[in-house]
Amino acid sequence: MKVFFPGWQWLAAPMAALTASVALAAPAAMLSLPDFDALAAKATETVNISLDPALLGLAAGFLDSSNPDDAATKELIAGLKGIYVRNYTFDQDFSYPSAQVDLVRKQLAAPAWQRLVEVNNTKDHTHVQIYVAVDRGVASGLAIIASEPREFTIVNIVGAIDLAKLRRLEGKFGIPKLDLPNGKDGQGK
Amino acid sequence: MSGDGECTGGDLLRRALAGERAAFGALVGTHQRMVFSLALRMLRDRHAAEDLAQEVFLQLYRSLSAVSSEAHLAFWLRKVTVHRAIDRLRREPRLEMAPLEEAQVPAGEAHSRDPILERRLRSLVAQLPPAARAVVLLRYQEDLDPADIARTLRMPVNTVKSHLKRSLAELRERMTSSGALT
Amino acid sequence: MSDDRHEPESNDLERRLRAALKPVNPGEGFTAGVMARVAAEPRPARRPRSPAVVSWLAFGLAASVVLAVLLAHEWQVRRIEQGREARRQLIEALRVTDEKLNLAYRVVNSRQDAAPAQHSGA
Repeated sequence: MKVFFPGWQWLAAPMAALTASVALAAPAAMLSLPDFDALAAKATETVNISLDPALLGLAAGFLDSSNPDDAATKELIAGLKGIYVRNYTFDQDFSYPSAQVDLVRKQLAAPAWQRLVEVNNTKDHTHVQIYVAVDRGVASGLAIIASEPREFTIVNIVGAIDLAKLRRLEGKFGIPKLDLPNGKDGQGK
Repeated sequence: MSGDGECTGGDLLRRALAGERAAFGALVGTHQRMVFSLALRMLRDRHAAEDLAQEVFLQLYRSLSAVSSEAHLAFWLRKVTVHRAIDRLRREPRLEMAPLEEAQVPAGEAHSRDPILERRLRSLVAQLPPAARAVVLLRYQEDLDPADIARTLRMPVNTVKSHLKRSLAELRERMTSSGALT
Repeated sequence: MSDDRHEPESNDLERRLRAALKPVNPGEGFTAGVMARVAAEPRPARRPRSPAVVSWLAFGLAASVVLAVLLAHEWQVRRIEQGREARRQLIEALRVTDEKLNLAYRVVNSRQDAAPAQHSGA
């Protein structure tokens, strides 16, 4: 079955319903992520990224504004105050210890966070939740919790990220490029 | 850089050579990803890889006076890690028989799901014979050219090139037959 | 990681291999584990120093100048390395974010259980 990704329209409507415009980060948008020792100990691969404002600024300084891809990335992160990623890959189907994950979900139950999307594929055992932090009607953060049979991921972005701009970076820097239906971004298959 | 952000430099190496253990710790922090990743992808077992990686750094600590520069340090670490891993594979055949993840790329999504494809590639690399696996890792994880790989593995350059050519052909064939590549 | 010494990547498989074989972190306590083993080791022998053939005064002055230049250079080198690493991690973070958003879309597209958007927390 071919799958087409016609852009981020599917998220734009619910986000628009929750937010009015881009805003600066609010402290509530930053999650306190536990060590996830239990996951790391069993994982064959771990990605642990913590880019606070200083490191984001440092990274931005090493993006070449004369390079279109770098310039687009610089524009994407201009309003961000932090990007935090915890990604664990396993070589066997693994039941994640819920205690540490529940610590994160508990934070996402706070009034500042609103669940944008929750999708569950029981056949593939895939579960994804996407949350947006809202402060006085404006987006101030994004959180993603993704559970797959052999991979677990938490992403926390502090600040308002323009998903359409992220979409335009696909195919560059190793960000997966998607098959699209006939349109301005490519040819469908 | 989620840790202390300390970077390797001639300064750290000099301080470590002078006996400053904190500087040596910083060198470990700087190079641990490289050493561990090589060990992991050679041994295919996380615990064995961590154990081997620790042994490599312990050996480095003992042999530090033999390291002449930052570039030599990286070369030394790669060489010792890979050789120790190959030795270990010879001593412990069970590591070669450890179960592998065979990630099947969903039909129709091969071109749009790089992460799954990459997992499949890692699995296939792990199935290569040890010497070929080491060559592929030094080339594509460490970005060494064939001459440097030959020096690291104490292998003729033509043998390195032969391993690369055969391994790429095998990987391409297996990825194509599974629909992951066209 | 590639530099000007290498030929440009010539095909898709090699590019994907580089992406698939990016280095990964060991466990959180790895460095501590190494240093615990190091602590039990005798301190390594210091590299012998070359004898100095100048007066102490001139040597001190020259050493100060050289040290200042070296420190500035080392700081700059370290800063560049930190910046490049930060850039690399930024790209990786954006890649993972995009990947998981795509995963959610794929699940939606497969028309499995999809809970509607809610406006009251988790």
